[in-house]
Amino acid sequence: MIDEIDSATMGVLRLALDAASLRHRVIAHNVANTNTDGYTPLRVSFEEQFDAVRSALGRPEPVDRGLLEGPRPVISQDAPLDGASARVELDMEIAKLAQNTVHYQALLRGVSKHLSILGIAVTEGKR
Amino acid sequence: MNVEAVAAGLPALGGASAPAGAPGADSLSGFGNWFGQQLSQVNDQLQRADAGLRQLALGDASNLHQVMINLEEARLSFQLLVQVRNRALEAYQEVMRMQV
Amino acid sequence: MMDYSQAFEISASGMTVEKLRIDVTAVNIANMHSTAAADGTLFRPLRVISRSSLPVFASQFEDGAGEAVYKLRGAQIHAVQELDVPPRSVYEPGNPGADDKGFVALPGVDHVSEMVTLVVALRAYEANVAAMNAARTMAMKALEVGGNQ
Repeated sequence: MIDEIDSATMGVLRLALDAASLRHRVIAHNVANTNTDGYTPLRVSFEEQFDAVRSALGRPEPVDRGLLEGPRPVISQDAPLDGASARVELDMEIAKLAQNTVHYQALLRGVSKHLSILGIAVTEGKR
Repeated sequence: MNVEAVAAGLPALGGASAPAGAPGADSLSGFGNWFGQQLSQVNDQLQRADAGLRQLALGDASNLHQVMINLEEARLSFQLLVQVRNRALEAYQEVMRMQV
Repeated sequence: MMDYSQAFEISASGMTVEKLRIDVTAVNIANMHSTAAADGTLFRPLRVISRSSLPVFASQFEDGAGEAVYKLRGAQIHAVQELDVPPRSVYEPGNPGADDKGFVALPGVDHVSEMVTLVVALRAYEANVAAMNAARTMAMKALEVGGNQ
């Protein structure tokens, strides 16, 4: 029922959390295969897909949920510009891991705060 | 998100001031106006916090702490607004209960 | 399979592979000075060959995360192979295993390359542990959504 009065924010947050969770598994897979010969690292693209609707979603007004229909996280192989096959760079993977972990937790915190604001409205400020 | 539902109890306050020419009336409509302004400010604050959160989700937020601070401030403002509304409502109900 | 248990499985698989790599390196180094057995066979250095659980990332998986994500299971041990390296000949006339010219055949273990393998495997093992810790932190945080209830 709560999603009837909510904006598209929860939808975007859910998608972003899905993407971050997927990104973690892809990074973990790259790290597990760092010494596998001939392995090409994988990555997840997600935020890029929102470029078209980014300005719409960044505005303060309530958002049309149809904007969320298209973009989904996508796994693809790394393709470096020089055309050579990519190899796992462990330091970069660990850096990505650190950033992704923080991002995931930031999103979770955002979800908590957002829901608690709704909670204030629902309970009229009473415990 | 928007907060118009919270204002449901308020028209009574503003309306009560209309017929009276007594000195008390001005302060009552003053309060009604003030509250209306606060309501719209809090609504804006909440919308902005929401937009900030969406930008964070899309990998767009230029700083994480600002998003979190905005969210928390909006939440507190909203909480304060609701408490003011509850007290005003209680006061109104108490007045209505008085024997004439 | 839940996303968080999949993450643990992936990191655990990496740890298993690197642990084996370290163990095999230890075996190689331990046998650096082992002479031939009674039947004439000489120790040959071993190496671990690992492969991804998703060996071929076909283009059909690029359509979306759907199918591919379930095949992400980390690394697997493909084989433990003997290296085809010639034995080292060391001049040691007193050794019972020496031939008539006084040379003993010892396994062709390259000490330097074994140490490099050891360090690389150890770093990779630590990285897998870091990934697993991150997965645990994230999952625990997810439990905290909604506050203390």
